[in-house]
Amino acid sequence: MSRPEEATEVKENAEFRRQVRAWIEANRPADPGFKLPQSFLEVESDRQFEFLRDWQRKVYEAGYLGLDWPSEYGGHSDPHKRQRIVSQELNRAGAPFLVNVIGLQWAGPTILAYGTEEQKRRLLKPILSGEEIWCQGFSEPGAGSDLASLQTSATPTDDGWVVTGHKVWTTLAHVAKWMILLARTDTAAHKYAGISYFLFPMDAPGVTVQPLVKMTGEGGFNQVIFDQAPMPKDAQLGELGQGWQIAMTTLTFERGAAEGSGGGSTTPSGESVRAVASLARRMRRDGRPAADDPVLRDRIAQTWIDEEALRLTGQRARIPGLNMDDRPLATRLMNKLVYSELGQRMSELACEVLGPDAGLWLGDPSAPDKAEWPRMYMNSFGVTVGGGTSEIQRNIIGERVLGLPKTK
Amino acid sequence: MRLDVPTDFGFTEEHALLRGEARRFLGERWPMATLRRAIDAGGRFDRGLWKEIAELGWLGLVLPERFGGAGLGWLHLEILMEEMGRRLVPGPFLGSLLAGIALERAGSAAQQEQWLPAIAAGERIATLALIESGGGFEADTVTATADPVDGGYVLRGRKTHVIGGADAGLVVAAFREPSGRASLFAVELPTNGVSVDDEVSIDPTRPTARIGFDGVRVGAHARLEGDGATALAATLVRGCAALAAEQVGGAESVLLLARDYAIDRKQFDRPIGFFQAVKHPIVDMMCGVELARSLACGAAAAIDAGTPSAEVHARMAKALAGDVYANAVRKGVQIHGGYGFTWDCDVHFYFRRALWSRPMLGDAIHHRRRLAELLFDGD
Repeated sequence: MSRPEEATEVKENAEFRRQVRAWIEANRPADPGFKLPQSFLEVESDRQFEFLRDWQRKVYEAGYLGLDWPSEYGGHSDPHKRQRIVSQELNRAGAPFLVNVIGLQWAGPTILAYGTEEQKRRLLKPILSGEEIWCQGFSEPGAGSDLASLQTSATPTDDGWVVTGHKVWTTLAHVAKWMILLARTDTAAHKYAGISYFLFPMDAPGVTVQPLVKMTGEGGFNQVIFDQAPMPKDAQLGELGQGWQIAMTTLTFERGAAEGSGGGSTTPSGESVRAVASLARRMRRDGRPAADDPVLRDRIAQTWIDEEALRLTGQRARIPGLNMDDRPLATRLMNKLVYSELGQRMSELACEVLGPDAGLWLGDPSAPDKAEWPRMYMNSFGVTVGGGTSEIQRNIIGERVLGLPKTK
Repeated sequence: MRLDVPTDFGFTEEHALLRGEARRFLGERWPMATLRRAIDAGGRFDRGLWKEIAELGWLGLVLPERFGGAGLGWLHLEILMEEMGRRLVPGPFLGSLLAGIALERAGSAAQQEQWLPAIAAGERIATLALIESGGGFEADTVTATADPVDGGYVLRGRKTHVIGGADAGLVVAAFREPSGRASLFAVELPTNGVSVDDEVSIDPTRPTARIGFDGVRVGAHARLEGDGATALAATLVRGCAALAAEQVGGAESVLLLARDYAIDRKQFDRPIGFFQAVKHPIVDMMCGVELARSLACGAAAAIDAGTPSAEVHARMAKALAGDVYANAVRKGVQIHGGYGFTWDCDVHFYFRRALWSRPMLGDAIHHRRRLAELLFDGD
């Protein structure tokens, strides 16, 4: 069966991909000469933040962000849904990440799905340009995997709400203008039904942002304490008591289980194993290139297989008829679990490739790749834990996809 | 090595139709009760089922139409193999497939005309003898010899693990000529000097044989015209893609058995699937199945599109699908507990197939070694 219109579309995409690739090559920023964060979990200094925000603005101004978002909110209403191509090319080029990750990938798509017309017009464009950074207020000290047990409260006032409580793991809170906030609005209701979803202005009085230091020793990760912090009526997203449902939508975006991102990607580019292979060519063990070691070769080949399998699973997820009708949700819901654990295995393997040099840390002049690999291995736990732990992901898949009995 | 699979995998509605047809036919014709009766009766291969499969056009699915095949692609075959793997369809289908590909790749027009229509029609069961004792599945390990004599060759050597060898009327096998090159020969069975001894296969649905060539005199026409090593390499790529798909289908069935049992079986007043120690391994099985399925589809699509990465994808698919199937049956038996340890539980039939097919056409250790060469030494 020939489908000429699709052949043309594919050709257009290929041309678009070439354009994006050329633009990135011509415009990617030079090495700033100071340590850059590996991910949005560790944006510590003002200069790091400004560097990354400038880069996002540049990508936005070139017309490469919000392609799939409606043009009336700052996007491009691209009929071909080509944001994915931009994300792939940014990953492939190893370009700096887009710093407004939570806005672009989680908050933005959620606001598009549940926001009022005013909320969409006010909030979406500055997400794309990087002008307004977002953070996420979901987890609390007592509410991690059991997120619905959260205790932060929003109490109605004459002209809005006041928030009291404590949120943790609030990446980017120190530079954020907005927070997607889950708070309890009805203490008498069932624990899921009493939660509402808010778009909270971080410059409100009564808000304290305190840094948390990650296991790598880096900051950029915070906790936020609310003491009678006010927010206006229109901070509410969706209906009162609809918070849990909306939060699940946000988490679906966060886990890369739905398309709709304004830019950036949480799926592998297919390039990471090449970096490990290249490391194995440079490192020596027992007086020979590590790339000659048969055991390391075997294990690197395995991660190559795993990475390509995940990449092709993402590709297959977009073709519903291709062996997916038995379990249509499977390939999407497993994405976060598989990529986070693969990333962890891969960075741990890179540490083994390093041999004794895996023991050299940030700042050592001889550390291969500036100690990027052990740092990446430590950071990988941010991904296997954040956004719902691997254990919670397995519960979700077991229950929602396979119909196994519910744990909770 | 740039990895490239067409964005849509070349998928069309025709593929969905084939899957529907295969699932319906096998569900009615080859339910587990029928398979069990056939095995308990000592039946190795159901000729009635073979004939029906031939009539459906499956034996010639990827063979050219001019030789009686359906001329379809490898994504069609991927879908069919998955469905056959789910139902543990017995018989020499895989052997026939491999022999057909080898003949198509290496045979002259006359040789193809001579053999392929009979293979596609199911009239002659063919097989490919690949491995020798202690050897491998690739052409470089062939030690059997073909010595030229007047008007033909003398073949010597022993092949093992030949799929459906005792049922076959034609065997294609690789021999090394005095020049050092490997060539493929098509030898009719029975032939004087060729011994065919049944092996006792761990998988009763996949009988294999040792075939000995004890100074067998064949005519020059028995030697396939094309280069044997090239044809074997192409056959191996295609065979790996097909066998990986069958393994994915088998692992899928084990996943469903384990899932259903974890919902039905109660201990401590709850279905055992409530407990995460049971739930999570089942989820890992599912992730494995989906990942291996993507590689099997990717390998098939790459072969169909003629992209250079087809070899990489086929080796990846065979490596991962073999390990995924092995993990599924290991966990599958364990989750079924004491029942899983009995002959009455169906999982052991899949366990046997998984053990049988994991090394066939090269195991994960072999393919990862070749992949590492492509990754490190290729560019």
